Amino acid sequence: MYKYIIRRILVFIPMLIVLSMIIFGLAKAAPGDPFTGRMLDPTIDPEVYEQQREALGLNDPVPIQYVNWASRMVTGDFGESMYYKGRSVASLIWERMPNTLYLGLFALAITLIVSIPIGIYSARNPYSIFDYGATTFGFFGLAVPNFFFGLIAIYLFAIKLGWFPSQGTITGTEVTGLQEFFDRIHHMVLPGITLGLAGTASYMRYMRSEVLDVLSSDYIRTAKAKGMSDRNVLYKHTLRNAMIPIITLMGFEFGALLSGAIITEQVFSYPGLGTLFINSITNRDYPIIMAIALLLGVTILIGNLLADIFYSIVDPRIRYD
Amino acid sequence: MYKHRLRLLVISLLLLLGLVLAACGNDDSAEPQDDPGETEDANKDDEKKEEEKEEASGPTSGGTLTGAMYSAPAGMFNPIFYEEAYEANILSFTHEGLVGQNESLEFIPGLAKDWETNEDQTELTMYLEEGVKWHDGEEFTADDVVFTYKSISDPDYVASGGIRTAYVTPLLGYEEYVSGETDEFQGVEAVDDYTVKFKFAEPNINPLYYASFTIIPEHIFADIPVSEMPEAPESRQPGQVIGTGPFKFTEMVEREQYVLERHDDYWQGAAYLDKIVWKVVAQSVMSGLLESGEIDFVADPNGIQPADFEMVQGLGNITIIEQPDFGYQIMGFKQNHRTADDVESGTLNPDNWVPNEKISNPEVRQAIAYAINREGLIDGLLYGRGAILNSPIAKQFWAYDESETTNYTHDPDKAASMLDELGYVDTNDDGFREDPDGNEWVLNFDYPTGNELREKSAPLIEQMLEEVGINVNLRQPKEMSAYVEDLTNDNSDWDLYLIGWSLGSADPDPTGLWGTMAAYNFSRWNNPDSEELLQQALKAPDAFEQEYRKEVYKEWQKLYSEDLPAVILYAQNSLWAYNNRLQGVEPLPFTMYNDPHLWWVNDAE
Repeated sequence: MYKYIIRRILVFIPMLIVLSMIIFGLAKAAPGDPFTGRMLDPTIDPEVYEQQREALGLNDPVPIQYVNWASRMVTGDFGESMYYKGRSVASLIWERMPNTLYLGLFALAITLIVSIPIGIYSARNPYSIFDYGATTFGFFGLAVPNFFFGLIAIYLFAIKLGWFPSQGTITGTEVTGLQEFFDRIHHMVLPGITLGLAGTASYMRYMRSEVLDVLSSDYIRTAKAKGMSDRNVLYKHTLRNAMIPIITLMGFEFGALLSGAIITEQVFSYPGLGTLFINSITNRDYPIIMAIALLLGVTILIGNLLADIFYSIVDPRIRYD
Repeated sequence: MYKHRLRLLVISLLLLLGLVLAACGNDDSAEPQDDPGETEDANKDDEKKEEEKEEASGPTSGGTLTGAMYSAPAGMFNPIFYEEAYEANILSFTHEGLVGQNESLEFIPGLAKDWETNEDQTELTMYLEEGVKWHDGEEFTADDVVFTYKSISDPDYVASGGIRTAYVTPLLGYEEYVSGETDEFQGVEAVDDYTVKFKFAEPNINPLYYASFTIIPEHIFADIPVSEMPEAPESRQPGQVIGTGPFKFTEMVEREQYVLERHDDYWQGAAYLDKIVWKVVAQSVMSGLLESGEIDFVADPNGIQPADFEMVQGLGNITIIEQPDFGYQIMGFKQNHRTADDVESGTLNPDNWVPNEKISNPEVRQAIAYAINREGLIDGLLYGRGAILNSPIAKQFWAYDESETTNYTHDPDKAASMLDELGYVDTNDDGFREDPDGNEWVLNFDYPTGNELREKSAPLIEQMLEEVGINVNLRQPKEMSAYVEDLTNDNSDWDLYLIGWSLGSADPDPTGLWGTMAAYNFSRWNNPDSEELLQQALKAPDAFEQEYRKEVYKEWQKLYSEDLPAVILYAQNSLWAYNNRLQGVEPLPFTMYNDPHLWWVNDAE
């Protein structure tokens, strides 16, 4: 098992190197640089921007720029932002990461808490009114775009009803301690539901079909024939087997949550990695683009690794060596 | 069974859809009858009464005001290093310059109470206000002014990310200082604590502009090398950013909230408001937040959208300030292209330019201008919230003069007959005109994304031109960073392009955009007469007289409108909105944030 994990982690390294080369190449291949979009003020001499390009090394050949970046990267130095003057990439990411992490976990929690029970219930009572209702909701959740749902939610629950704040992560600097914790949760409700909506819908559908599948399998019939109670059949035999594909999904979900967060964070002016990523792309802030893209890559790889490890916990037949 | 299931599904879907629609519909139309609506109305009545009462008793101290911007500041609160309008929103409350501008754009006293220039305008002596206190209690003196200009002239300034060198390049000895040849800075000199002298290398026609830069405190930055200023907490952290303005920057939740508090020792008297809080909100929810009172004002850089104007006005509790903007949108003609070699080496040499035969005839450009319905664009796209400009100088300036310009009022018939006369006729019956030699005549039309109204205008213009028989090849829009690169590196097949300019309010001189050698002269307009007039308008000593410059610019504008390197499509109005509880707002042509220390709210406790 440990051998397996170590082997998997070692495989990450060449994957990340290739990934970083691809992203660097793509980012550089996009026309424009950190200054082109900004140089539209007639009082500012374009020569000024030329000098700044030179100072940042943007006039060097791309392979040299990559090597410079990569060699700094290896020593743990992500470099300086080109847009946020005087800020290191690491400090910018550290500052935003908690917001996105909390929001992602919150959304994931909502997703799991809502979707798994509904999925199970639907599977045990297929073709009931409840099942149809859940199916309808499922299609609705998958079909409605994130930003649209977010706007509707803001309009109804923040502006019309005033139940939840519509923007940001916190009311102000005056709230502290436990109050701050609840204030942050309060701010997370709308973006969290928006972000979790699509996930909830698809998990629910997966859960329903998996449970249905397992319920019709031979070993369940055997268990029932033995006279095992429905409860035991469900919790001891059905759920464990039905969870395996869900765990695979969750491995991918980390990445999906981050990319979903890009849009959701914009709608709710929620300052997380998503907004930072989008801004950095429009500003061609290469060091930040690289850092976040790599972070995303690492997250997805680790997510998959965790999923593999969880398999063996849920299903003891799966063994790695 | 299956039929049954399907029917149920359809019914439940319809029900759900109905619910959603009903919910939306209700909230839009039935608002006045709604309970919250009623209480709101009642509140409004109360407010009105209060307003009357308060107005009778005059300004009162206290209260918090909440402003909104759509994008968070990048976080650079040092006036010599910031770049964006979002930081400017905060800095215009916390920092000040030696001079300001009034509603007719004349320079008026700020931190300097008086000034004089010598005979040939190579020296400007400023007499400073005495007793001005920085936010930390230190006194403001002439040394701070010298320090500010010295920092911008520093050899490391540009490489550290500074871009405001335009303010220091005309100063005496700038070249020697910035290249490191000498470490003696002569451009600005402190005569005594309250007198400071600006020295220019050549006679300067608008010296006050160069003296108008925002001042930073020497006692805070003295020990920080210029190259380390951008990352210093004194440039970015609340409480450590120090200015002389009526409000101090005291707290922030980065990228969400920026809190400004009253500076009690403000030299013009402490402000009425306790606090101004800036919130970052998504543009899509702004009008809702204005209505609910969660935000009190929204102004630069985006204000409210023309499409939202009527709706915001209908809210009842909001005052809208509508003024012409200093910027304008153009459709430019690529009159010349550069050669690949010049693009490669970044050279601007008009002698090498390759004329663009497709539109090199000024009459063709004029015909195209007549074909464009600018009124239609303003009515249709801007909902009437804009103005037609007939010259590339903002209307608010003394220099704007359309008395002798050719004004291209929409006239498709005239456009068609002009093109007919020039020999641009349809010879092969494809519905489009060919050029006088009978060759295909297709104009490539490029435009950037980022400004929604401008994006929408491109296909409309294409349609207008095709109505008079011009074959336009409208290409896919490009994102701004990519677009500007292509616009600059113009050894290409570009003919027509869209771009917008936002101009400063300090001086109307158009050389930065329309001078032959200007990098932003994307039309590559090369007209020696224009060049001569532009230089004449800046030549000392004649140009010391505004009347003289006005005459020269009048002639230049006439020339521009005839040679037409670009059609000025429209100037969009700025639309700023604020809640009626805010009193004492006296907007200037270029900002709403005029004398914020005199702002007050009528519901202060």
